[in-house]
Amino acid sequence: MQTETAIEIRNLTKNYGKKQALSEINLTIPRGMFGLLGPNGAGKTTLMKILATLLQKTEGQVNICGVPVENCKEIRKMTGYLPQDFSMYGNMSAYEALDYLAVLSGMSRAERIRKVPEMLAVVNLTEKRRTKVKSMSGGMKRRLGIAQAIIHDPKVIIVDEPTAGLDPEERIRFRNLLCEIAKDRVVLLSTHIVGDIEATCENIAVLNQGKVCFQGKVAELLSSVEGKVYSAEIPAEELERVKENHMVTGILTTGSTANVKIIAETKPFPQARPVQPDVEDAYMYLMNS
Amino acid sequence: MFGALFVKECRQVLRSLVYYLYVAVFALFIYSQMGSEGLDVKEPVPGQSGYGQIVTHDETLIMEGVLEKLAWDVYYNSFTTYPIGFYKEVQLTAGEREQAGEILERCTGKGYEELMEEMIGYFSQYEQDPMGDAGEAYESYKVTVKEGFTYEEFGAAMEEVCRLVGKGSSYEKNTYENSIRVPMTYEQAKEEYDALCEKDRLTRGYMRLFCDYAGIVLAVLPVFVGVSGALRDKRAKAQQVLFAKPASGGLIVISRYLANLVMLFLPVIAAAFWLQLSCLDRAQSLGIQADRWAFLTVPGMWLLPEVMVVLALAFLITEFTDTILSVFVQVAWGIGSLFGASVLVGDFRLRLVARWNTLGETTLYISQEQEFLRNRGYYFLLAIVCLILTVVVYERKRRKGETFYGKIRNAGR
Repeated sequence: MQTETAIEIRNLTKNYGKKQALSEINLTIPRGMFGLLGPNGAGKTTLMKILATLLQKTEGQVNICGVPVENCKEIRKMTGYLPQDFSMYGNMSAYEALDYLAVLSGMSRAERIRKVPEMLAVVNLTEKRRTKVKSMSGGMKRRLGIAQAIIHDPKVIIVDEPTAGLDPEERIRFRNLLCEIAKDRVVLLSTHIVGDIEATCENIAVLNQGKVCFQGKVAELLSSVEGKVYSAEIPAEELERVKENHMVTGILTTGSTANVKIIAETKPFPQARPVQPDVEDAYMYLMNS
Repeated sequence: MFGALFVKECRQVLRSLVYYLYVAVFALFIYSQMGSEGLDVKEPVPGQSGYGQIVTHDETLIMEGVLEKLAWDVYYNSFTTYPIGFYKEVQLTAGEREQAGEILERCTGKGYEELMEEMIGYFSQYEQDPMGDAGEAYESYKVTVKEGFTYEEFGAAMEEVCRLVGKGSSYEKNTYENSIRVPMTYEQAKEEYDALCEKDRLTRGYMRLFCDYAGIVLAVLPVFVGVSGALRDKRAKAQQVLFAKPASGGLIVISRYLANLVMLFLPVIAAAFWLQLSCLDRAQSLGIQADRWAFLTVPGMWLLPEVMVVLALAFLITEFTDTILSVFVQVAWGIGSLFGASVLVGDFRLRLVARWNTLGETTLYISQEQEFLRNRGYYFLLAIVCLILTVVVYERKRRKGETFYGKIRNAGR
């Protein structure tokens, strides 16, 4: 995978009136899958919309493949955007909706005749090409959404909370699809679901309250919590006390005992034993430290 | 790209229920009005019992006609006005009524008391049935103008009346000069007939009558199609995905607008063509060389600017507010324009609904054609301005993520 910088964000600030949604954001996003993680209200969608030219920044600089984000026309040509709640005209079939959006992407008739069926095949909607948008499931709509985002072969794909509301099978299928299309371009995936990032991204950034609180590789995020995650079997009646005194990231109650996963700087109690952290632990540690 | 988008937008209009309702209401209205409108065109013959009526330009007749109405209005103290297009009955105070009486006195040369007594004596025989008899009384009551009273003096007097009763009355110059009708002579009737045959070639005159009726509904109906089209993205929650596409706002808005315009106008042309068929038969039987393209040219000139501006304003207001506000604003405008007309033939000024509720009166039309063209040109340009503003609003929403009235629409983070 090439590591050349595709998106460069410097001192980006966005205010909604007096409310600051993004504050002094600095990010360098290379090619491949890039995960943007953060709780609800962290500013992920605002950042995504600025990159997709749907919002104007208040301050700072944003370049996509060397082009300033102010150059909307060029940016829109080189980006594909899948919004959080993708939808299209309910009375259009999957084929018609994709063809309509392909026209808006500036594709000629000949290109559309070739690319629309191809994209429907990529997202596994060939058999559903005549299905009306209003009759599609959430997963089908997202797949149609990703098809419209990549149909004009953009260098950057911006995907905002794509797996929210999908069932586990659809979520895995959708994540795999994103990984496939990220082979030769940037896929910027915004989500608050840690599992999606863990399964797909090597490079990530964590946003909280409009600020970047981490940027790096997933392994680096994991290393920050290395040796700080413990597992212990405790009596069930002590669970409340443990929750009050420690950061608990997992509880498995079996009868009168509870198996807890705790993040702590030092060994929380004698019977606790260190365990291998996962991204969720690292994320929780980051959010609460 | 534009052609492909235009075709797709036309298809979208064709899938809209609102559009079919538009077609149905338009067709029903035209059928109900024009279906019974006979093509009673005959060459006048000397000695006929009557030749119809014509708008007079005779200053004395105009003065007499207007003073008759003024006498009637003062007597009943009831003045009909359309100040902002809507009907309003104005009643004068005792002092104002006295002033109106003095104006009458100045114009007729009869003392106010004398005139009132004469009027009371005359109208009292009809008092029992104001809806029926009062109309008859008004038709037959005559007021003569004072000897030596000039048309300029009359004009100044009517301006005083206008100041008393307010805007939109029958005493405005443009109104009374186009509304006093007198019976036609044979010569006038022959001249009208010849003009209808030679200048209007029958079909153009008939299409003007069609445009009169069609113009009434087209002042309002396209609003619904326009609002429905402009709100389509919001309804489908497709705004964000469309905004992020490389296509320019101009391309998107104009292709939609033109698609809606074409689809709205197709039933108009179809109805005009269908109605013209019977007119062509009649023209042939009278030996008139009919204008076969009148079904395109006359509605194109008469109705297209109207539909253009109604649709463009619907697009603009809806894009600006993301609401159905346009329906209320434009229905009020359309109805106001319709009921604000003091005459049913001509007096175009800047009225949205251009009226010509008669078959023929070609010489009158020719005399008012420049005013008509100015009116339609104005609405054509206004439509273009509205369309440009719609593109500006669309692009602004696209970049700012907010509506013009300040509500942040993209605050969900």
